[in-house]
Amino acid sequence: MRTRRRLIAAAAAAALVITACGGGDEEPADTTDTETSTDTATDSTETSASSEAPSEEASAAPAGEGEAVTTVSNEAGCAEDYPGKIGSIEATDTLEVVFTLCSPDPAFLQKVAFIPFAVQPSEHIVETGGAPLENPIGTGPFALDTWNRGSELTFTANADYWGDAPAAQSLVFRWATESAQRITELQSGTAQYATTLSAPDYELVEGDENLQLLEDLNPNVFYMGFNNTYEPFTDKLVRQAIAMGIDRQRIVDTYYPTGSEVPDYFTPCQIENACVGDPWYDFDPEAARNMLAEAGYPDGFDTTIYLRDVYRVYLPEPQTVAQEIQTQLSENLGINAEIEVQESGAFIEAASAGELDGIHLLGWGADYPHVTNFLDYHFAGNEQFGDAYTDIVDTLAQGAATVDVAEAEPIYTEANNLIRDEVPMVPIAHGAAADAAVAGLGNAASPPFGAPQFDSMTPEGDSIVFVQNAEPISLFCTDESDGESLSACEQVLEGLYQYDLEGNAVPALAEECAPNEDGTVWTCSLREGVTFHDGSEFDATDVVTTWSVGIDAASPLHVGNTGGFEYYTYLWGGLMNAPPAEDEG
Amino acid sequence: MSDQFLDGDLRSSGAEADAKRTVQPAGPGEGPSPDALLDKPTSIWRLGMRRFFRRKLGVLGLAIVTLLTLVALFAPVLAPYDPIQQLDRVEEVQRRDPPSSEHLLGLDSNARDQLSRIIWGARISLPLGVSIVMVAIMIGAAIGAIAGYFGGAVDSVLMRIMDVILGFPALLLAVAIAYVLGPQIRNVLIAVAVVTLPQYARVMRSSVLSIKEIDYVAASQALGASSWRMLRTRILPNSLTPLIVLGTLGIAGAILEAAALSFLGLGAQPPQPEWGAMLAQEYTLIQTYPHLVIYPGLAIMITVLGFNLLGDGLRDAFDPSLNE
Repeated sequence: MRTRRRLIAAAAAAALVITACGGGDEEPADTTDTETSTDTATDSTETSASSEAPSEEASAAPAGEGEAVTTVSNEAGCAEDYPGKIGSIEATDTLEVVFTLCSPDPAFLQKVAFIPFAVQPSEHIVETGGAPLENPIGTGPFALDTWNRGSELTFTANADYWGDAPAAQSLVFRWATESAQRITELQSGTAQYATTLSAPDYELVEGDENLQLLEDLNPNVFYMGFNNTYEPFTDKLVRQAIAMGIDRQRIVDTYYPTGSEVPDYFTPCQIENACVGDPWYDFDPEAARNMLAEAGYPDGFDTTIYLRDVYRVYLPEPQTVAQEIQTQLSENLGINAEIEVQESGAFIEAASAGELDGIHLLGWGADYPHVTNFLDYHFAGNEQFGDAYTDIVDTLAQGAATVDVAEAEPIYTEANNLIRDEVPMVPIAHGAAADAAVAGLGNAASPPFGAPQFDSMTPEGDSIVFVQNAEPISLFCTDESDGESLSACEQVLEGLYQYDLEGNAVPALAEECAPNEDGTVWTCSLREGVTFHDGSEFDATDVVTTWSVGIDAASPLHVGNTGGFEYYTYLWGGLMNAPPAEDEG
Repeated sequence: MSDQFLDGDLRSSGAEADAKRTVQPAGPGEGPSPDALLDKPTSIWRLGMRRFFRRKLGVLGLAIVTLLTLVALFAPVLAPYDPIQQLDRVEEVQRRDPPSSEHLLGLDSNARDQLSRIIWGARISLPLGVSIVMVAIMIGAAIGAIAGYFGGAVDSVLMRIMDVILGFPALLLAVAIAYVLGPQIRNVLIAVAVVTLPQYARVMRSSVLSIKEIDYVAASQALGASSWRMLRTRILPNSLTPLIVLGTLGIAGAILEAAALSFLGLGAQPPQPEWGAMLAQEYTLIQTYPHLVIYPGLAIMITVLGFNLLGDGLRDAFDPSLNE
């Protein structure tokens, strides 16, 4: 950290001198243009000139033409150096797509339901060169009408929607950064639904008979983490002592909104196999002090509490909670902790790289409803907690290869018990969040995953105005990761599966996706008679083409907004046909 | 710097006439007449203070600063509670309780007595503001004196460096320095001192440039006094007045900038009761719990107002060009 600061200091000083001396007059390089390679298409991509059923005549894609495809695969197959989970995706019929995985993925359906994997017409993808950033065409309950940059997004109801037609004839998205601003919009009647209240605003909404508070059950966890490569956290007894010496109930009761819970397990219990095994330690400061003395720290020790001052549902009041933990460490365990608030990006980077030598306060909100999204991400070899706990890693590897939920239960029981024993972190809270709506908005609800489902809400008039935190970055959510973009996309686009109001992954554009016996091949039967907002018919080529844009690094259409396609890399282990790591730099 | 020192210094130079030359005649009814001055040398300080105490706003500023200084000095006695004690552990109270007879300014988000935190906050903000200005004056004055006295290339190099620093928005540069050095009060001191020292350097340089042309300085030089001795005994003492006036005004700015850095998380760290940090922790609650934001804000405002009034008063009193 210190070295980085010195580097920044040197850079800042150089910038100061250059600027003050009148330097920097040259035209800056244009970094906004996205130049894409057009000669990297591989033989592994079959193309189809139209959205007709794939045929045996479908030929290999010529390099650089950016066409609709019926097959996409990793050229080297599931080779050892291929980190990705998906080996190939193939349109085997007009309404059938087969995903062949390199290893079983028990969370396949839950991941597929995530909105970055939504489908658009292959023709539209091709016409826009793999970057339909502002004009998404989907099959969802609303179609995009206009996007007035800096002002609002407007949608109109999709009269030909394959599901139940929305009650609202129009939908408007606006944005305001502060919770108080969003509530003011509701109170003044200029909006009907506002997202993400700050905790102190709960009382305001509950006390207003014209508003309704909508609890959001997005699974999350806030924890205090330890890196086992730094003294004294190398000692399991120290970690266990802290686990027992923190009064988590007081933290949740005092600093979290109603509906928040003290965790018995790292993963929230609404997720299958999350809450199996022994529950977390009870608060016992005396036993904790004894353990600390046994570890050689009868008078405690000095350490640092690292955090970022950023509101999250799992940690609504970062500094306040940090000071509470600081007090508890001192009073209950004699540990003298300084608080260091870091810039958000620097903090995440340092935590992920295992550079934080004290206690770090972090949390996690679920991307998809599966236990692997919590346990594997954190404990399957993450540097954040220092040297890997091999017993935990091995157990989680077994769980990740077990598709059947019942079969996986004993594995996750063992994993949870091992986590409890090793204490790489102390889970402090499952935070409750809430949205707000006007009292007259019928069926208003905040689902645990994804954006509010406005198609199922019944406004008093013809339209619903929704106020979220910020403006979307783009509406090509295949290559977006911010919540504001994704929530707008969810009104327009759909994937093979989607999340229902309880957070379950349920069929959408697929009638069913079924695995083979070992869970490595998933065959998806597509819904018949579905049309996109532009009137074109939905079929298997659209699915494969849209997926190929995100997952095939060699596709001429692999363009997007930033080209990052983060969720394809993150949720599926890596991209197909990606250049070797040494060539990327 | 005491009156005695200045008086003694001026007399010891054996240049009463020069001392008289530095004292500008005041307006009608303000201070002694020129004739009286010829009979009995009166220091610039005595004259200035006489003028100062005739200005009500300046005296009000002095009263505020004196009061705040006393509050800071006697914080352990005046504060009704420990500023970092979470009172919901020992009393039947809830965090963010509004002002009451037991807790005159209410409780903050960690259930700590806000009045006690603001009182203890004076112990951070006031010394911090004064320290920043003192450091900036010491370094700035040294740079300005060297640049002004030696002139030539030394002057050009030093002043261009000062220009570089002045070329940047002060707060932005302070943020950059504080970020690089790490979030600590000590680093706030360094950051704000660095961004403010050019103004002291420039003022000092101007003073030195004018004073070094005066006869008694030339006389000392002719008698073989060393440069260091000239600067130390002849030039610096007679250049201090504008620096002191500017410094008093600068304390207000320094306190504001230090509070801003703490507000941005680059200064005092929790649970230190620093006013800017207190604002940073609670500012999102201004609609629902306004007392958590208003009182630390008022503390900053009153302190800054006090130093500004005091500085204005001193400037009016010691800058003859502003006399009526």
